[in-house]
Amino acid sequence: MTLPLENILFYGVLCLYFLAMILYFLFVALKKEALGKGAIWVQILGLVLHTAAIVLRGIVAGRLPLTNQYEFATAFAWGLCLVSLVFILRFNFPILGAFAAPITFLIIGYAALQSKEIRALMPALQSNWLGFHVSTAIIAYGAFGVSFVLGIIFLLREKMKASGFLDQHIPTREKLDMLSYRSVALGLLFLTFTIVTGAIWAERAWGSYWSWDPKETWSLVTWLVYAAYLHLRIRRGWQGRSAAIFAVVGFVCVIFTYIGVNTLLPGVHSYK
Amino acid sequence: MGFAITLLTVLAAVCVVASFVTQGQSYEWYQQVYSEGTARLIVGLGLDHAFRSWWIIALTAFLCGNLLLCNLTRLRPLVARTRAEADPASALHGPADVFGSGIADPLPVFEKLRLPKPKASQVEGQKVLFSGKNRLGLWGPWVCHLGILLLIVGFTLGQMLHREYTVYGVIGDTKPIGDTGYYLTIDDFQVKLRDDDTVEQYVADVTVQRAPQGSTTVPDSKSATVSVNHPAGLYGFKVYQNSTGYAARITVEEDGTPLQTGVVCAGEGVEIADAPGLTVYLNAFYPDFYLQPGVGPTTLSGRMNNPAYLYSITYQDSMVGMNYWLPTDDPITVNDYVITFSEPQSYTLLQIKTDRFQSLALLGGLVTMVGLILAFYLLPVKVWAVESEDGTWTVYGRSRKGGALFREAFEEALQSQTKGETL
Ligand code: HEM
Repeated sequence: MTLPLENILFYGVLCLYFLAMILYFLFVALKKEALGKGAIWVQILGLVLHTAAIVLRGIVAGRLPLTNQYEFATAFAWGLCLVSLVFILRFNFPILGAFAAPITFLIIGYAALQSKEIRALMPALQSNWLGFHVSTAIIAYGAFGVSFVLGIIFLLREKMKASGFLDQHIPTREKLDMLSYRSVALGLLFLTFTIVTGAIWAERAWGSYWSWDPKETWSLVTWLVYAAYLHLRIRRGWQGRSAAIFAVVGFVCVIFTYIGVNTLLPGVHSYK
Repeated sequence: MGFAITLLTVLAAVCVVASFVTQGQSYEWYQQVYSEGTARLIVGLGLDHAFRSWWIIALTAFLCGNLLLCNLTRLRPLVARTRAEADPASALHGPADVFGSGIADPLPVFEKLRLPKPKASQVEGQKVLFSGKNRLGLWGPWVCHLGILLLIVGFTLGQMLHREYTVYGVIGDTKPIGDTGYYLTIDDFQVKLRDDDTVEQYVADVTVQRAPQGSTTVPDSKSATVSVNHPAGLYGFKVYQNSTGYAARITVEEDGTPLQTGVVCAGEGVEIADAPGLTVYLNAFYPDFYLQPGVGPTTLSGRMNNPAYLYSITYQDSMVGMNYWLPTDDPITVNDYVITFSEPQSYTLLQIKTDRFQSLALLGGLVTMVGLILAFYLLPVKVWAVESEDGTWTVYGRSRKGGALFREAFEEALQSQTKGETL
C-alpha cells in the first residue's frame, strides 16, 4: 500500500529542502542576511511537513515507521535536518546550513529512490526495542552529520581569507572545535544507546546479542573511531585539525555502516 | 593516552578488514572466491575467524588491561579532584579560564550561570564567594571505562562459557536438550498468517522437564509460550523461537500392512526398519503447489491449498525414485512397498541457550551509557568571586571541558555587570 498524501508531503519536503539549500548557498555567495533567515524558515517549514509525513505514515501503518530502507532514509534526513537546525538556531550559525542542507537533500533524495510501499512487518521486526534502536540511531546519525559538517568548516576555515562576513558568521576555530565536540558527544551517546538497544533486540529476535554481523561490526568501528576522536581531543595540541579530520572520517564510517554495508558486504539480518 | 588511541584505531582497522572477509569458510572456499595467495593469507592470519583470532583477543586484552590500569591509577587523583572542586581555597590557587574584575555585585553572575547560591568564606584573609556544579561529571570517563570493562568481561565470559542447543520437531515431540538431562516438549506450534498470507508470528508452546516423559519419576516441568522477539526462560534455559519449516508423515506399507509411519522434517529422510535398505526422504514441501513453466516448482502461498511433496527414495544405496507427489496421485510403489505422505504441518526450530554472563554485559552497556551522560552532560563548572580592597569583586570561572562555550556564557553573564574587564 502507498499513501498519496504522504507522497505529496514527501515531495513537498524534498522541494523545500532543495529550496533551503539554494537559499543557504545564495546567503553565502551574496552575503545577504535576509537570505540566511529565509533559508532557516524554509528549513523549519520543511521539517514540520517532514514530521507530518512521518507521523501520517506511522498512523496508517499502525507502527513506528522506521523499519525499511525508505523509512530509515527519510528519518535519517529528518534527524540531520533537526540536529542541524538546533545548532543553527542555538549558536546563531546559518552558514552551517550551507553545508548540512546538501547532505540532508542527498539523503532524502536517496529515500526518494526507495520503495514507499507500506508492508506488514515480519515477526523479527515487531519489537519495541527495534523502535528504540532506530530512533536513537537517527539522532546519533544526525549529530554525527553535524560534526562532519563542522569538521569540514573547520578545515576550510584554515584556508579562508579573513572577511567581515565570514568572521561574523563562522565561529572561531576554538568554538568550532567545541561545537564539533558537543555534536560528537551527542552522537556517541546516542550511538551507544543504538548499539545497546540493538543488542537487546537481536538477543530477543535471534537469540544472540552480538554476532559480528557486518552491520554490527561497522557500528562498532564507528563507535571506536569517535572514541578515538574524544581521546585525541584530550591530548594537548591535538584538538582542532586532527580532531576535525577524525570527525570527518567518523561520518564516512556512519555512511558506510548505513549504505555500504547493505550493498557491499554479506549480512545475516533476515529471519530464517 | 597515545597507547589508548592507537589501540582504539588499530581495533577499528582490524574490524574493517575482517568485515570484508566472509567468516567461517574453508580454505577451498576462499581459494575459489579469491586467489590462492589471498586464501593462504586469510587462513594464515586467522581472518577466516577474525573475531576469535589470537590477535583480536590480544588487542582486547590490552585494551582491558589499559582501561583497568587507567581506572586504578586515576581513582585517587579523581577523589582528590572531586574534593578540590568544591574547595574555594584550591580554586583560588588554581587556574581560571576566564575572569572579570571591578564588579559591584557578583551574585547575578552566579545566577545567570545557573549555579547554586554561592557560599561566602574567608580564604587567606580575603572574602570569597564560591559556587560550583556538576562535580559528579568528573567521574563520567571513569564510569564509562568501568562500563566498557564490564561489557568486555561479560561478553568474553559469555562467549567462552555459554551453552547453545537446538531442538526441532512437530507438535507432540519430546526431545532432549543436548546432554543436560532436561527434555523439551513441543505442546503446540502455530504459524499465524495475515489475510495477505504474510507471516504475522510463529508461536510455540513448550514444556521443559527434568525427567523424560514415560520415566518412572514424576516429571518436574515448566511451560511457556515463545514467539519471535518473545523468548522464555525455563530452568535457566532461554528458549527462542528461531526458525521453521515443513514436516509430514511418511507411511510405508507392504501388502496392506503398515511397516512404519513417522513424521519427518523437510530435508530429512527416514530409514525403514522393516524394509532393510529402503530410505525415504522428504526433500521439500509445497503447501500451495504450482509448477511454474520455465521456473520450476513454487508455492503460491503459505496456506495448505494444494500440498505437494518432493521426495526421493533410495534402495540399497541407489536412487530408485524422485518426484513430486500430490495426495490425488496414486501411492508411490517401490518393489512391494507402498509409500504415501500425509499430515503436512510446520515444524519449529527452537534455540536454547544458557549464558550467565549476559546480564553482566548488559550491565556494562548501561554503566557505559551512564558514564557517557556524566562525561558529556554534567560539565563541572566552578565560579568564585574575590572582594578587592575597593569593595568591588573579581569573578573567576573555570570549566575544563566547557571551553569556548563556557567562556562565552561567562562573558555574557558578566555583560550585565559591565564594569567588567574580561580575559
Ligand atoms: C573503547 C574504549 C574507550 C571508550 C569508549 C572511552 C571513552 C571515554 C570517554 C567518553 C571519555 C570522556 C571524554 C570527554 O569527556 O571528552 C574518556 C576519557 C578518557 N579516557 Fe577513555 N575510553 C576508552 C578507552 C580508554 C583507554 C583504553 C584508556 C587508557 C588509558 C582511556 C583513557 C582515558 C583518559 C585518561 C580520559 C580522560 C579523562 C578525563 O579527562 O577526566 N580510555 N574516555
